[in-house]
Amino acid sequence: MSGTTNTIKHLGSPLARQTLLDKTLTRPVAGHRPIRILPWLQVVKIGGRSIMDRGPEAILPVVAELRKLLPEHRLLILTGAGIRARHVYSVGLDLGLPSGSLAPLAASEAGQNGHILAALLASEGVSYVEHPTIANQLAIHLTAARAVVGSAFPPYHHHEFPDSRIPMHRADTGAFLLADALGAAGLTIVEDVDGIYTTDPNGPDCALARLLPEINAADLAKLPGTLPVDRVLPEVMANARHIRRVQIVNGLMPERITAALRGEHVGTIIHTNATSSA
Amino acid sequence: MADTTAEFEALLMQRSLSDPQLLAAAETASDFRILPDATVLKIGGQSVIDRGRAAVYPLVDEIVAARAQHKMLIGTGAGTRARHLYSIAARLNLPAGVLSQLGASVANQNAVMLGTLLAKHGISAVDGAGLSAVPLYLEEVNAVVFSGMPPYGLWMRPAAEGVIPPYRTDAGCFLVAEQFGCKAMIFVKDEAGLYTDNPKASKNAVLIPRITVDEMKAKGLHDSVLEFPMLDLLRSARHVREVQVINGLVPGNLTRALNGEHVGTIITAR
Repeated sequence: MSGTTNTIKHLGSPLARQTLLDKTLTRPVAGHRPIRILPWLQVVKIGGRSIMDRGPEAILPVVAELRKLLPEHRLLILTGAGIRARHVYSVGLDLGLPSGSLAPLAASEAGQNGHILAALLASEGVSYVEHPTIANQLAIHLTAARAVVGSAFPPYHHHEFPDSRIPMHRADTGAFLLADALGAAGLTIVEDVDGIYTTDPNGPDCALARLLPEINAADLAKLPGTLPVDRVLPEVMANARHIRRVQIVNGLMPERITAALRGEHVGTIIHTNATSSA
Repeated sequence: MADTTAEFEALLMQRSLSDPQLLAAAETASDFRILPDATVLKIGGQSVIDRGRAAVYPLVDEIVAARAQHKMLIGTGAGTRARHLYSIAARLNLPAGVLSQLGASVANQNAVMLGTLLAKHGISAVDGAGLSAVPLYLEEVNAVVFSGMPPYGLWMRPAAEGVIPPYRTDAGCFLVAEQFGCKAMIFVKDEAGLYTDNPKASKNAVLIPRITVDEMKAKGLHDSVLEFPMLDLLRSARHVREVQVINGLVPGNLTRALNGEHVGTIITAR
């Protein structure tokens, strides 16, 4: 162990000596499509503001529908944040806090909505699980129970991107990143509108709003104005590996959740860039 | 933002978070810098720590001396063991999110080792780069060590191609500097900075002392000294609008860079 030699102690591997930044060098090793880790998993994202904030009138029928679905599917139920996250953004931005401070505060609200949903499904063996459990022990939890509930927010926290003062990686994006990384069978996003409209169905031009039964991610990114999903979602969908389509359904008509999980077209289907074989 | 606070609150409560008017109003919020006196250092994994004693001991001495004048958040890179993990995991066709978790463990190991060497000087390694006790460490001993990988794990945004996680320790350390509103960001590597070509492969490579993100992209140099998605983060940053890449194998460079001197390549947002 002489202190005079100053060389890198390389560990032999196909990526050892080259820059990880050069795709022509990494492609032969890392250029393949990943496997599906949990191919039987159905991911269902429940909106915070659109469902949870409405209280028992909206939540209880959704819970009843999810309970009926348990024998049919193994579910990862992910919850969004909602109006309390808006409030924490309002207070936080007034204090001048950056998006990296606001992101974990908003994520904790998504978690609280998850705890509420899990309490209502606990008698079916459903628990709320934290992010590390989702990342590392989902397989055993879903072997022991038909479903678990988690926060849909991704753990970007203090490492949120600085692009926007409102944290940009929120519940829809988190649910998609997770479903795609796990190679899940599907992702269904449950909101309080029938899908994506040409203009905001709750906005000033609501009379002109027309439901889009299908749209691809690139066209979704170009839609002006407001969207019922995170703006960054179509950007993330451009690099999807497994999830080829995501359906947005109206959870105020809970039977549509079941229909969507059975493959029926009952809302707006967003097509991603994932290909069937790559 | 004061006059429009009520208006902004109304937008936040009523509109979609994708509403352009709401997002524009949010932009007018004031910027609070959480740790404005601290400088973030990233100590390279392959470029520095994998060299062992010859590279790390002199840097430890420099860090201990520099903390008399500077507050430092010291992040660690991953390096050759991460590449070994990536090589195996990628050939098993595991996704970027799994590789991200694996790579994070190597950056953690490097943080533990650096923290061990700095322990007798009262400098600790912390779990995660979230605030927690970091302000107290900075106030009391002017330095703290953290693992440079961002916490995205399975939620890592994959690149357009391949399963190598695109946001690794360069991005992780930079985002700490930016989100905490730190004074400066210094990448400590084993080359003097950015060159016109790969200096490890080409003898004709010339050092570029200062360059913008757009110039790097125009010259096709964005796939070189730093993880390239980090350049977009730098361009959209609010607080840390430039970063310096220095050769940490040259004694004194780190101290000079901490003093604001130009000793490597400065990459600017605009």
